[in-house]
Parts: sequence; structure tokens; C-alpha cells
Amino acid sequence: MSLLDIDERILQLVELVDLRATPITDLKEPDEEGVTVGILEGGINNTYNEEVAKKMRERCKILVALGDCAVFGGVPAMRNFFGAEAALQRAYVDAESNDDEGKIPSSPELAQMTRVRALNEVVPIDLYIPGCPPDADVIFYALTELAQGRIPEIKNENLHWH
Amino acid sequence: MIKLTIDGNEIEVQEGTTVLEAAEAAGLYVPTLCHHPQLTPYGGCRLCMVEVEGARTLQPSCTLPATNGMVVKTNTQKVLDARKFVLTLIFSERNHFCMYCQVSDGDCELQNRAYDEGMTHWDLQPNWQPFEVDASHPFMVLDNNRCILCRRCVRACGELVGNYTLGFEERGADSMLVADYNVPLGESSCISCGTCVQICPTGAIIDRQSAYQGKETEVEHNIGVCVECSVGCQRDVLTRDNRLIRIEGVWEAPLNNGLLCDKGRFLPLEDDRPRLLTPLVRKDGNLKAATWDDAINAIAEGLGKGEGLAAIASTRLPIEDLALFKSVFADSLKAELVTTLEEGKATASLAKMAEKLGQSFESNLETLKDTDAVLSLALDLVDEHQVAGFFVKRQLTDGTNLIVADGKGNKLAEKASFKLDLEAGKEGSFLLKLHEAIESETGDEGFVKAAKLLKAAVKPVIVYGQDFAANADDKAVETLVGISESLNASLVGVKGNANSMAASQLGLESPIKTNGYKSAFIMLGDENPSQKLIKQLEDFPFVVALSAYGSQLTGNADVVLPVTMWAEQSGTYLNMDGRLQKAVQSLEAPEGVLTSRETLLKISEALEVETDADWKTRILSRTPTVQIKES
Amino acid sequence: MKTTRSMVLVSSDPESLDRGALDVFSTLQKQITKFGLEEEIALSMITDISKHAMSPLVLVYPDAVIYGPVTTDDVPTIVEEHLYKGRVVQEKQISAYDLSGRVAWLSSRKGTMPAENRIVLKNVGQIDPENIDEYIINDGYEGLGTVLKEMTPGETIQVIKDSGLRGRGGAGFPTGLKWQFVSGAKGNKKFVICNADESEPGTFKDRLVLEGDPHAIIEAMSIGAYAVGADEGYVYIRGEYGLAISRMKKAIQQAREYNLLGENIFGTDFSFDIHIHTGAGAYICGEETALIESIEGNRGEPRPRPPYPTTAGLWQKPTLVNNVETLANIPAIIRNGAAWYKSIGTQSSPGTKVYTVLGNVNVTGLIEVPMGITLREVISIYAKGMKGSATFKLAQTGGSSGSIIPASLQDTPMDFDSYDKAGVSLGSGALLICNEDVCVVDLAKVLLNFFRFESCGKCNPCRIGNKRAYETLVNISEGVGTLQDLKDLKMMSDQLYELSNCGLGQTAGSPLKDILAHFRAEVEAHVKLKVCPAGICPMSGQRVYKIF
Repeated sequence: MSLLDIDERILQLVELVDLRATPITDLKEPDEEGVTVGILEGGINNTYNEEVAKKMRERCKILVALGDCAVFGGVPAMRNFFGAEAALQRAYVDAESNDDEGKIPSSPELAQMTRVRALNEVVPIDLYIPGCPPDADVIFYALTELAQGRIPEIKNENLHWH
Repeated sequence: MIKLTIDGNEIEVQEGTTVLEAAEAAGLYVPTLCHHPQLTPYGGCRLCMVEVEGARTLQPSCTLPATNGMVVKTNTQKVLDARKFVLTLIFSERNHFCMYCQVSDGDCELQNRAYDEGMTHWDLQPNWQPFEVDASHPFMVLDNNRCILCRRCVRACGELVGNYTLGFEERGADSMLVADYNVPLGESSCISCGTCVQICPTGAIIDRQSAYQGKETEVEHNIGVCVECSVGCQRDVLTRDNRLIRIEGVWEAPLNNGLLCDKGRFLPLEDDRPRLLTPLVRKDGNLKAATWDDAINAIAEGLGKGEGLAAIASTRLPIEDLALFKSVFADSLKAELVTTLEEGKATASLAKMAEKLGQSFESNLETLKDTDAVLSLALDLVDEHQVAGFFVKRQLTDGTNLIVADGKGNKLAEKASFKLDLEAGKEGSFLLKLHEAIESETGDEGFVKAAKLLKAAVKPVIVYGQDFAANADDKAVETLVGISESLNASLVGVKGNANSMAASQLGLESPIKTNGYKSAFIMLGDENPSQKLIKQLEDFPFVVALSAYGSQLTGNADVVLPVTMWAEQSGTYLNMDGRLQKAVQSLEAPEGVLTSRETLLKISEALEVETDADWKTRILSRTPTVQIKES
Repeated sequence: MKTTRSMVLVSSDPESLDRGALDVFSTLQKQITKFGLEEEIALSMITDISKHAMSPLVLVYPDAVIYGPVTTDDVPTIVEEHLYKGRVVQEKQISAYDLSGRVAWLSSRKGTMPAENRIVLKNVGQIDPENIDEYIINDGYEGLGTVLKEMTPGETIQVIKDSGLRGRGGAGFPTGLKWQFVSGAKGNKKFVICNADESEPGTFKDRLVLEGDPHAIIEAMSIGAYAVGADEGYVYIRGEYGLAISRMKKAIQQAREYNLLGENIFGTDFSFDIHIHTGAGAYICGEETALIESIEGNRGEPRPRPPYPTTAGLWQKPTLVNNVETLANIPAIIRNGAAWYKSIGTQSSPGTKVYTVLGNVNVTGLIEVPMGITLREVISIYAKGMKGSATFKLAQTGGSSGSIIPASLQDTPMDFDSYDKAGVSLGSGALLICNEDVCVVDLAKVLLNFFRFESCGKCNPCRIGNKRAYETLVNISEGVGTLQDLKDLKMMSDQLYELSNCGLGQTAGSPLKDILAHFRAEVEAHVKLKVCPAGICPMSGQRVYKIF
């Protein structure tokens, strides 16, 4: 969502890039033969996130961690203090909005919850853009630099996390 | 002088300067965390490491003395790598997730250092072991999750305050900040001075009042003198949108060096007395809200020409107010009694001595900061004038002897080398015995012991307070001065409220008597009236009270005018050792509330009396007990 | 374990190999078999004998006879005459003094099995430690008498400087120089402290001295006090050493009764007294500035240096801090002179060293040997070989803060400079000898766990770095380590050395450095193949997150 904070500048950006895959387009995964830049939001919360991160790493020359969750673990990482089970119990059973029959989903098809980790604990990351959310100007700066084949430098007023 | 080279700059510094100080003097930046200018260098955080030519390893600049010909580099790759490594380690040690923290984004020294080093991420992830938050203290919250174990608070508690409440238990990776022997902070020996809050570089110790109320960039600073007692500490009152956020000590202040006590730092923010916002006039036996004009008219009517008038002011008010008060009531109206709530108890006997001698005989508070023997007479610096007490307490571990002479329970006595019994009212004979012991080393064992300790000292100080001054007769004070001469000791009188000495210089020192007065004019300001005063005023047919807060006294008064409290007024204060210091206005007064000074001017206009606003000449016209210095 | 009557060593440095050392070795083998001695005589090669003109060398133990240069032609004679008949072949024999300084001890130890070259342990086990008279009969307090009556403090310091004595606490700082610093420091009050907070795991040399010869420490401290101008001393003994504390107390009491402590000792102007301070179980209090803080009643945290204790130590006064073993050398040096002391050990590290030998060897215990002996000699001669004919893999010196010595360094002379050159340290004198069953990752894990626990917690690199390194090692031992972890370990080891405030942190990383330098293949097997070659590590494949 923070990407949209760059407002109409998104049009300039679109000019510069060849967008291969996003979670909201038909193509969900980057091309098998690889892409130049991959951007990951969010930390590693479960086994599925892990797979995605590893696949992205394989297929992207430059992997970018965008936002505090991806860079540090973020708010979801708070559950590390209590453990995944306690978090599930609170969400699915103890939550005030639940009826008496609250039950923790346990389908084998569901990804297994893990300890919440920053991306760099799982795969090597090339560029970190911290912030919760990162400033729109910072996002725009970083993306235009990347689109023009330069590695942006996140420093001074661009460096900000909460 | 020592010459050294830092990053190619030739720098000349005094001997004993550290490399860090030398670099800072030359305008070079070396990041620090555990270092604080008011504390002894510690060398724990290892962030200030620099490369020194010829040294085997990197050296901590904060503890490294500069030596001649030293060549220092502060920004080589090795140094930068080391800084990043240290910061990475610190972030990984505990829960330093900034997004959950109240000091993040500007107020956190740890985060700021990481910004400075351009850290976009942490190579090592935090340890996810949660520690319990200690919220047992009424003013502070201690959160070990945020602690970086720099020990600034521990050192401040010991080195600056002399209280030694905070300390570390366990060692190595298990080291943990604890109060006393790991008791909740609220049940510990903490005296709530809040120095630890002020010195904490992260959000590990925060104060309840100001947490999440405003960041450094969002608050206004108002630096002025604290008006809670006569020590005269410099403090910074932080406000935002005309609200008090927090009070901090001013590190650069020469007298208190950043220290404050609970009375100066926390209690003003806890003040929940009912505020008076409109004038009140008694009609048909009941106090009713009135306009300012009506109220002033009622006063003019009630006071008449000032016959049988007792005028009493608070010594918490600025000198300007007190001088005007004196000008109106003593000079113009010639009231029978013009005095303060303190009645000169803390000053009169001593001021008389200064007049008799024709010169000042007391010393600066600085003498208390560097002494090897202290004799405290009928004074408990743990309970009152606490910051002066810190000066004494923090020296006790360095071999300074403390002798406490008191006749009642005295908390300072627990820390004393030994105690002498000083019965109230027997000050004269006590001092004579001591003087004799000093001259001839004869007499009671205790006196001889005290005499020996004081005589052996190079810089002895005798400190005394209100109780002593109130009970001591001329003879006792004379003996005291005699003792100080034979010991070559400094005398420090701590006096009473913020403007206790100013009141004395203005001659507002008479005792309050109640017989035969027709009316009373009480200028309370924001002071709490004592039960004794309330009782005394019951006999007065007509009572005017100027007060910021409602109390039993204002409830009994006939006319009440709402005035400003300390933060809403500015003015000058004369502290216990003769420093003239300014208090500044930090908050706008509520609508319809005037300062005591403005109110007095209105009243004097209505009474058609002349006023004289020149306070300085009045202050300086009397021989002071301690030399008056304008800062 | 097969016991052998003799051990024969052939030098195998490049020079010796050039001159046919391998042929000499195989001929020796044949000849020994020919005489049927293969069960009685062990044959081995050693490196680094360094005197090239005489190589190849053949050394015969326990006779401590050196032959050189030896050709294949000489071998039958040597085997027949010496090994078979027991007669030294004098025409081929060379003196130890012909060789480099490092083997100068050989002749003095001739015919003795564990070296009886005892200086530090001379009286230990020989006299009644609770009887001052026995100490006095054995030349006790003679040294003190000599310095007080006949020598100036300056002369006393000169003797110690000339002797070349170096601190035995681990760092090897020249003792005489330290004395000179304290002596030259400004101040009207000075202290002498004996560091007897011996907490290095596996080290117990100081305890035996304190228990067996407490008066030697009192005498040495008095000599030191006289030399530097101190009048008050402390013995900081680790609290667990109950017997040592009571013996020391008794010794001080006796010395006071004989006026060997107190006012006007030996009728001179010199006055000196000693207090005992017991430690409370913190390893870090063996660090001299932490020890001083502890005596002052503070938390045992090392101070920043400079200023050094020699200028601002106990109560900010100039203070001499010496280790027990260092001090135990002092009376003997004063009695026998600097030249005598220099004749023992090596050129740069004279004297003897007390080692505690532990681990997978046949004989463990305390030995006092001249400096410059090699690890191979310690193992083969004093420890009587590896247990169960196992292969020597590594030795861990100096309790925890020493080094891991791989087999390739077992012929390096054990003295301060040679070890320094090889990038390892002698430590406090513990020698933990390990066989192939020991996993280096596991060993490093144990050591880092110790440091993690024993760091005082003052400075960040040591407090957090050790914990982090330990966690990384745990993960490697669980089979979830990565190559990045190895890089991190190297980096942590380097930064610990670079950034830590005191010796503990600075040396804590050395096991990491050592295993990566000498046993990299084994460590990489844990990471790449997920296999622990020694079969020690759990290799569960599970990452351990919470480590307490």
C-alpha cells in the first residue's frame, strides 16, 4: 500500500520498468529464467514465506527487503515473545469475537507457523529499505534508482525506522 | 599542554584530557553511548574506539588519556567496522525493536548512533527473551528489555546522587540492572530523584508522566531556576501545547550539574490540588464567584487605611513580588505586621550576625561538593534540600567524614561516621562544648572525637538548616562563627524556601502573632498553607488570600484572588548561597488568572498607594550572610 | 598402552630430511627389529631442532642423549651399543649446549624421569607448610635477609631484571620491568598484591604452592615490597581454596611472630604486612584490575587501562600485582643469583614452568619443567604417552584463555616467544591433552560457554559477543550452521580481540580462531556435510533459539 503513497509518480516508474510478477497480477512468481530486481515485503512467519523468499532469491539478481517487517521482523515478530501457539490460541480461541467453539485451524495444507524472522535470517538480502512504512519519497527514490540500474544508498534523511 | 594529532588535525589540550574530549574540542565526531560528561569515563560500550598509532588494538577514546605526540584516527575502515559490530551486538542482545519503543525516532541515543553509522538493518537478529517490566515505582518504569547495560544510571545513582540504589546482578550475558538486592524499584531505597531517567540513553528507564507525550522535536524547553527549595537548581521545564510534559535537570548548570530531587522533578507534575480560576468574595457568609473589580473593591473596603493589618507572603514568590509586597504594605500602608510564611525562622538569627559583623560569614555550596569532613547541625539533607544532600552523600565513599548532630530522627545520620546528640534549644551549650573540645581536646568523648575529625580535615564544612537558625540565639551563632574560624571551616546555611534569603534581605522576618489584628492579607502564591496558619487566621475578622489553589485557608477567607502558579510566572530568586537566578514562565496562565505582582499592582491602585518596583537596591542594602552574586 | 623402555626421536626438519633423516629413521627401524627391541623402544620423528650443522639428530630418552650428525652408517653402532648394551656412543654424542638454547635443559635433566628441576615446587611436599622453622632450615627468608641487609631496592630490581623472569600469569610480562615501574611511580603509599585467584579450569599449580610452601610467597612479597617501596600487601586467594587460605593465614601469623612481617623487619627500617582477601567465585577477578576492584569492595569489573595498576592500582595507589608462581621464583633468584636462573630454560624465557597435565594421557598431574620443552616431550616423557595408544589431536593450554595447539605445533618449544611466534599462547599452565575422540566444535563450545558465563558483562563485545559466538557454535553442532556462520565466528574472534577491555574478552575468541585455522576441514564437515567427524555433536538438525 505504501507504494501507492508515491501518488502520480507511479506513472513515471511504470515507464522505467518491465513488471514481471506481483501478488495482484496473473503472474504471481517471477520468470524461471530470472529477473533483475525482486522486492519482498513482510518477514518470515511460516514455511510458505520461507519458500517464497528462497524462490525469490533464486530468481532475482537483486533482492530488496522493503519495510520494517522484512528488515527487522516488525510487529508480527512480537509473537516471538510468547510463541506461535499462544498467538494462535489468542486469535482463534480466546478472542472476544469467537464463539465457544473456537478452534485452531490444523489442515495439513496450511503452512506451518515458525518463529518470525527478518528476511536476512533466511536468505541473503542486497538492499534494505527500513521504515514502518518507508517514506513514499524513499520508496520512489529507491525504485527509480533500481529501475535505472543503480543501487540506491539508503542513508541520512532517507534512513529511518521506527 | 599536550599536543596530539587526530585525523590529521594538530590539537593542543590540557594534561589529563581524554582523547574523546580532545576530539570533541576540535569539533570531531566520535560516537558514544556509555559516556556521559558528568560521569567518570567507563569504557563499557566500546563505540568510541579509535585507532592509535602504535597501539596493539583499537582504543576506547573515552578513557584513553591524550599523550604527547599521539596520532589518532577516528574514521578508518577498521574503526567504522568496529562501530557497526558493536551496534549490531547491542541490537541483538535484547528487544530493541524500535517500533515498540517510546523513545524511538529521535529520542533514543542507540537508534541515533545506528542512523549515524548508516545501518539499514541488523546482521544479527535480536534475542527473543522477554524480561518483566518493573512498573512498581510511582514515577518511573524500568524496562530491562530496552536496557543496553551501559550503566549510566548505575553510575549516576552512585557517583552523582550517592544513593547506590541501582546496581547490577549476575555477570556476563546474564548481567541485569536491578534495584538494591533485586527488589522492585518501587520498594527499593530509591529516592525518586529521577537522575537515572534523565541519563538513560534508551527507553529502559522512562517516566510515567511524559511517556508518549511528546518527543524532543515536539516540546518546548524553558530553562530556569527550580523554586521548590533554596538550593536553586537549574531545571528545564518541557512543555507542549501549554501542558507540562517533563522536568529535567540542566547538565551544564554549574550548581546542580543536572541533578534534581523528586520535589523538583516529579512532584510538580503530580500536583492535583484544585485550581482557583475566578475571584471569590464572601457574601452572606458564603464565598461567591465575583468579577475582579468587585473583588478588588471588596479588598479596598476591607483593608481600609491599613490599620491593624497583617500582611504575609510566601517565600516561594519571586523577589519582584516580595519587594512590591513590602513596598505596598510596609512602606506605604505601614501595616503592623509585614512578614512571610516562614517568619524568618531560617534566616533571622544569622542575618543579625552578619549585620553585627558587618560582613558575610557563610560560604558557597561548592564547598560542600569538595570536602573531607562535614558537620551537619539539626538538619536532615535526606529529607530537605536534597540536592545539597547528594553533594555530601556521594563523597562518603571517598573517605569524607560526616558528623550529624541532631536531637530527632535524622535519615542522614544513617550514613554518618557518627552522631552527636543536639537537643533543640540547647544549640548554644552544644556549640560551646564543641568549641572547647576543638580548642583543648577535652570534654565528652563524642565532642573530642568530632573535634579531632574536624581538625584533621583540610576542607571542613559546617552545614545547618532552618531548625538550627530558628533555635539558635546570638551567643550560639557567635560560637558557630568562632568554631569556623578556629577550624578554618566553611559555613553553609541552607535556609528555607526558594526565596528565603531574599525575604531576609528585604527584612521580612517578623514572627506572626495573632492578637488584635483587624485584617490579614495573605499572598500564598502556589504554596500550601500550614494548619498552624489556618488556625491563626481564624481570629482575623477580614482575610484576603491570593492563591493559585483552593485550600482550607481560601475557604475561610473573605476575598480570594486567583493567581498564577510557579510555571505561569517569571521572576528572580536568591538562593541559599547568594546566587540571583531567573525563573522563567513555561505555561500561559489560565484566562482570568493574574500573577501575584499584577494583582498587587491592581490592589495598590485601588488603595491609592505608591509602589516602588526597584528590588535590587533593597536586596543589596542589608549585609547578607553570604555574598550575593549576580549570574 | 604399551610401555616402552626408551624413546628414540629423529629430527625431521627440512635440513635433516635433506641430509637423509628418513634413511636414518628406516635404518633405525630395521636395526631395532634386528635386535628384537621393537617392543621396548618407541621410535618417532620430531621437527624443529634448528641447529643445522648437527642434523640429522637422534635423541634417546630417558637418557637425554643427543647424537648428531647421524648417518645410516652410524645407526648400527648406536643401536647395538646404546639401545642394546646401554653404553653411550661418545664419539657421536653432542652436548645440548652445542645446540640452540632451547634444549639447553636436556643435560641437566639427564637420568631423571619427571624433571626434578624444581624451583617453584622445591619445598612443596618436602617440608611441613605449617611450620615456619622447616622453611627457614631450607634457606627460607635468606633471600629477604639478603636484600634487606645487603642490597638497595634498586639492586634488588636489577637482579630480577637480569634474571629475565617473566610473569607466569599468562601474559609473560618481564617481572623486573614491572617492579621498576611501580618503584618509579609517584606516591607515598604503595601496595603489593599476590594474585592467587587461580580460576583457570584445570589449573591448580598456585594452589599447591600456597598449600605446600606459603612462606615462599610471604618472602617473595616482602622482597617485592622492599624493592618497590610498599608497606602493605594483599594475597587475593580464590574462595574455594580453603586449605590454602588457612595455611596462608597460619604462615602470616608465624611470620609476624618471628617479626618477618610487621614493623622493622630484620631490625631495618623496612616494615611490611600482608592481608588475605578471598575471592567469591568470579573468574574475572583473576584479571588484575578486576581483582583490585574486588579488594576495594566493588563489583569485579576490569578497569580501563591506562592508567595501569603500576601507577594507579589499589585505592589509586601504585600497586605491584604478581602471580603466585612468579613470586615463588623470587627467593630462589635472590639466593642463587640472576646468572643461575638464566641458565635454566631458554634465552628469552628463563626458568621453569609448572604445568598441570590433564586429558587423554596415561599420567596426569603437576610437573615443573624448564621453559622450552616441547609438547611432544611432555606427552611422551611426563604423561607417559596417550591413553590407549590413541593419537594426539590437540592440546588446550592455559585453562580457558589459552590456545588450541594442533599436533603440528607439538614440537614447538614451549616458551613465551616461540609460542607467540607460532600464534598461540602458553596461558596459565594447564595442558589439556586431547585425542581424536574430541570434536573441536564441541571443545570450542565448552570454552565459549565458559566465557559467556564468566565475562563480567562490562563491555559489549565480550558480554554479547561471547554469547553470540556460543549460540553460533551450538547451531553448528546441531547441524544447522552455515558458511556465513564460519565467517561470523572469524569476525567475532577478531573483533573480540580488537575491542574488548581486558584479557578475558581479548583471548575469548582465540579458540574460534584456532579451530578455524588448524581444524577448518573438521568444522566445515559440520556445516557442509552435516557430520561431526568425532561423533560428539548432537547434529539434530534443529536450530536452538533459547540458550540459557
